[in-house]
Order: sequence, then C-alpha cells, then structure tokens
Amino acid sequence: MLELSRRRFLIGVGLSGLAVASPRLMAAGSSAGEQTFHSRPIPSTGESVPAIGMGTWITFNVGGDQYLIDERTRVLETFLERNGTVIDCSPMYGSAADVIGAGLDKLGAHDRIFAATKIWTSDGSETREQAATSERRWGIDRFDLLQVHNLLAWQEHLVTLKEMKAEGRVRYLGITTSHGRRHRELARIMETEPLDFVQLTYNVLDREAEERLLPLARERGIAVIVNRPFQGGSLFRRFQSEPLPSWAPEAGVGNWAEFFLKFIISHPAVTCAIPATTRVEHMQENMGAMYGQLPDTSQRRMMADYVRQL
Amino acid sequence: MSGATWLSYSLQDFVMFGPEVFLRLFARINQDLWPWLLLWPLAGLVLPWFGRQAAELPRRLAMALAGLAWIGCGYLFLVRYYGPVNWPATRFGWAFVVQGLFLLILKGRALPGPMAWPVAVSWWLAVLLLPWLSVLEMPDLWAIALFGLAPGVTVAATVLLFAGQPSPLRWLLLMLPLVWSLFSAATYWALGTFWLMGFPVATLVLLVVALRFNPSPAQNPGSQSVHRGPGRQSP
Ligand SMILES: NC(=O)c1ccc[n+]([C@@H]2O[C@H](COP(=O)([O-])OP(=O)(O)OC[C@H]3O[C@@H](n4cnc5c(N)ncnc54)[C@H](OP(=O)(O)O)[C@@H]3O)[C@@H](O)[C@H]2O)c1
Repeated sequence: MLELSRRRFLIGVGLSGLAVASPRLMAAGSSAGEQTFHSRPIPSTGESVPAIGMGTWITFNVGGDQYLIDERTRVLETFLERNGTVIDCSPMYGSAADVIGAGLDKLGAHDRIFAATKIWTSDGSETREQAATSERRWGIDRFDLLQVHNLLAWQEHLVTLKEMKAEGRVRYLGITTSHGRRHRELARIMETEPLDFVQLTYNVLDREAEERLLPLARERGIAVIVNRPFQGGSLFRRFQSEPLPSWAPEAGVGNWAEFFLKFIISHPAVTCAIPATTRVEHMQENMGAMYGQLPDTSQRRMMADYVRQL
Repeated sequence: MSGATWLSYSLQDFVMFGPEVFLRLFARINQDLWPWLLLWPLAGLVLPWFGRQAAELPRRLAMALAGLAWIGCGYLFLVRYYGPVNWPATRFGWAFVVQGLFLLILKGRALPGPMAWPVAVSWWLAVLLLPWLSVLEMPDLWAIALFGLAPGVTVAATVLLFAGQPSPLRWLLLMLPLVWSLFSAATYWALGTFWLMGFPVATLVLLVVALRFNPSPAQNPGSQSVHRGPGRQSP
C-alpha cells in the first residue's frame, strides 16, 4: 500500500471528523500557520479533499513548448501553495499528462496531490494498459482516482476498475460526463454501481444536476467532482464586466471567480470543483474560493437569480 | 451517440489547445531551425522561376521543390510540433508527407507546361504576403509562417501548381489541400485567431486564379493560356 503523504494524512484524519451537513461549518483548518480552507469528505471513506481542485483540459496541453511548460508549472505551484491537491486529467487531453508530470517532477510534488485521471478508450480490454501509461506520464505509482471518461465502454472498464481497486492498484473509481449529457444513463449507473465518485457539469447557469444527480449522489454516498465550473470560461466573458451584487461580501464573495466557485462548492452534495486556468493570477483568484465564508441556501438562490437577470 | 448528444457539441469542444499554444508553434519551429529555415522560403521564391521555363528539367525541379515543401511542413510542423497538442494534426502530417512523396515521384512530367504569368505572380504574392498573417496574430516576428514549414502558406501556394494539372490528377492533388483548408478554417474559427483565416481564404482565392489562368489541357483542349507568357519563348 502506498504511504499517505503527511499533508494527505493531516487533511484526511484531521478533517474527516468535521464533516457535517452545513457547508458553512465544513471549513476546516489545515496544518498550523495556514489559513482555514474548505474541504469535503469522500463519502465512501471519510478521507477529505480540498473543495477546489484543478482541471487541465486545454490549459495544460502545451506539447513540448518548454516556455509554456514552465509557465504551467508555476500555475501548478500556486495551486499547491494554496493547499490544492485534486488534479484532474485524461488521456484525451493531448500532452497535458506529460506537462503535469514535468511540473510535479520540477516541484518534487508527486506525493502532495490527489491524482485523478480517466480511462478513455472504446476498447474495454485496455483499462489497465491505459492506466499504466498515464501513471508513467504523471510519474506516479498509482492513481487516487480513475474515472471512466464520458461513459465510454463503461461496463467493461468498471469491471476492471473494481478489480484494480480490490488489488490496491487504484484507491477510488468513478465515471464522468459533462455539458449535461446522458444524465439519465449516469443516474442509472449511480443507482446500481458501487461508485466512489461521479464527475459532472454544474455551475450557476447549468443547474440540471440539482434535479436528480446531486440528490442521488448524497443518497448513495458518492463524491461529486464538478467540471466546467465557469462553463469553459464563458461565464467570465458574459458577466465579468457586470458589477457583483451589493450583498456579495455577506455571502463571502469578493470577485466573480469566487462567486461562481462558491456557488458550486456550497452545494451540500459537491465534493470539489475543478476549474482550469493557464494563469497564476487566475489560479490565485480561484483558490481564494476555498477560503472564507460560503453562501447559505438563500444566498445561493439569490446568486442564481442575480446572474439570470443580468 | 444520440442526435441530441451530438447537437450539444460546439466547434470549440473539439479544439483541445489554446491560441497561444498554436501561435507559438510557428515561433518555436523557426527558432529551432534558425538559420537553416531560410532555405525554405528561398525555395519558395525560386520555384515559379523554374516553373516558368519551357525546358522540362527546371519544371521537374519546381514539382520536386513543391514535394519537399509538403514533406517539410507535413513532418516538421504537423507531425513533430503540432501533433503533440492536436491528434488530427499528426494524421494530416503523414498525409502531407505522402502527398509530398507523390509529387516527387511525379517530378516534372505532370507539369503540363510553363507556369502562366498571373500564376507565377500569385505564387510570389502568396509566399511573400501570407507569412505575415501569423505575425499579425501573435504579434512576434519569430512567428512568421514560412513556405515549406507552415501548412497554410505551403498549401495556398501549391494549389496554384495542382490546379494546372490535367484531370483527374488535378482533383487528386487538390483533395488534401481542400480538406486541410476546411479543417484549419474550423480550427482558427474555434480558436478565435481570425487573421489566420486568411490562409484557407487565400487558398480558395488562389485556386480560382489558377483555374482561371492555368486551365488543364485535358479540360480545355483549345486553350492557349497554359502556353501563354514569356516562358514559352525561352529555349
Ligand atoms: N467529460 C469530462 O470528463 C470533462 C469535460 C469537461 C471538463 N472536464 C474537466 O473539468 C475541468 C474544468 O472545465 P473546463 O476546463 O472545460 O472549463 P472551466 O474550468 O469552466 O473554464 C476554464 C476557462 O476559464 C478561464 N478562467 C479560469 N479562471 C479564471 C479567472 N479567475 N478569471 C477569468 N477567467 C478564468 C480560463 O482561462 P485562463 O486560462 O485565461 O484563466 C479557461 O479559459 C477541465 O479542465 C477538465 O479537467 C472534464
């Protein structure tokens, strides 16, 4: 079995006991001297993960461009400095896995992350091979989480992933979708399969998941990773020029990034959101959402109403 | 996948890299190949001069240079640099290499006659003006899109040669440039790099020019235009 890093140990043991129903109370302290940040327990084990992770679609696919690899490494460094651990990738994301690997190497940070990638192949017999290739590219011994990407050949992959989990080759398994696609099918899988995680799209505008998937995840004890928290960036393009509502500070919101992210992570079913960025300043803003007060139920409603009327 | 699922995709969903990554490909390949990269545009500039000769050997050389340009941008730009950030680019790259090899095999035999003046001038304009589109988009001098390395310029210029071939060879040679133009136009649109749309647009404009001034002898048996121009008078 892999040794837990000190950070993971502190977060896991220290915070799992603090998992309570109200998101406001789920803010928990990390090691001494650091600011308090929001983390969430993974229902199947109680281990906690920080409520903001990092996506890598497009942003980390920079090929062999050393200048951009160094820039992305600085983004990764900022993420880790701000207590981020969950990193999400996929074999579909071109060179992103290699760029993560190069960054982790440079920062010596392989044991400070919660490594999540996907299985993305229609060949149901390639699960292990693809996981091994991803491990090599990241430079890690095993993934914390392997997810079937976009339900592709999910029946076959899940069989193998369950075996791998039993063998200790992966710690958690899950399945992903995005853009609100195939929710009905995903719900059926969540009802019948022993999933640790689901990954889906949820943000202040795309709220279909609230109807069935998020309540179902709570009911079935499945952790939820939220992708496209900024709708691929279009939330900023649409709303960034608008003023924040006057009541934003009361909801713990200081900028639009916090507005969008705190709306998501304050949903009681959400475990973590995984915004992607190419820029250090944006990473700093995004990680800011992990700190301070979170909106309550009525403030969340006001947030959704506010963007709708803009 | 259901029809509804397909409809939920936008063009942007298929582009897996950002504009900065793409534009830096031009700068990176130029910096890595400096100063040897100057050979490529030089070849691009002399090509019409060879192409306008009445003698067969220089015209063979023109086709061979075009073939080398396709191999150069197929293998170097598309396979080596662009491929790691975009899966289809690798496939396009190998297809470019095959097309380049095909041009080398064809040699001058398939160039039916000396290049017409308007075609030669269009070629020079393409090789001299189009490279600046990527500089306008970046903007950085290193990002210049050179003939023989950058697919946009290479494709736009060489359609002038391909359109001068007799059918069906003409259409066989034009197939990949047209598919590439469609693919790259969609990519530039999704990336929002609108200056680069100049490459596929120029390709279509040059194709029309070439078809107008360089009709294939097979389709226009009575046409003189292939044989017009001073090149015809050289020994
Ligand atoms: N089916 C699946 O499994 C699936 C599907 C989609 C996504 N995902 C995962 O979810 C992750 C997130 O989704 P996404 O990348 O599609 O979209 P996203 O995180 O909603 O948006 C990313 C965009 O937001 C911009 N951005 C980030 N922070 C910003 C800030 N503070 N201010 C202004 N702009 C900001 C980024 O631009 P800058 O670079 O300029 O910051 C980028 O263009 C992906 O990276 C991927 O890991 C999974």
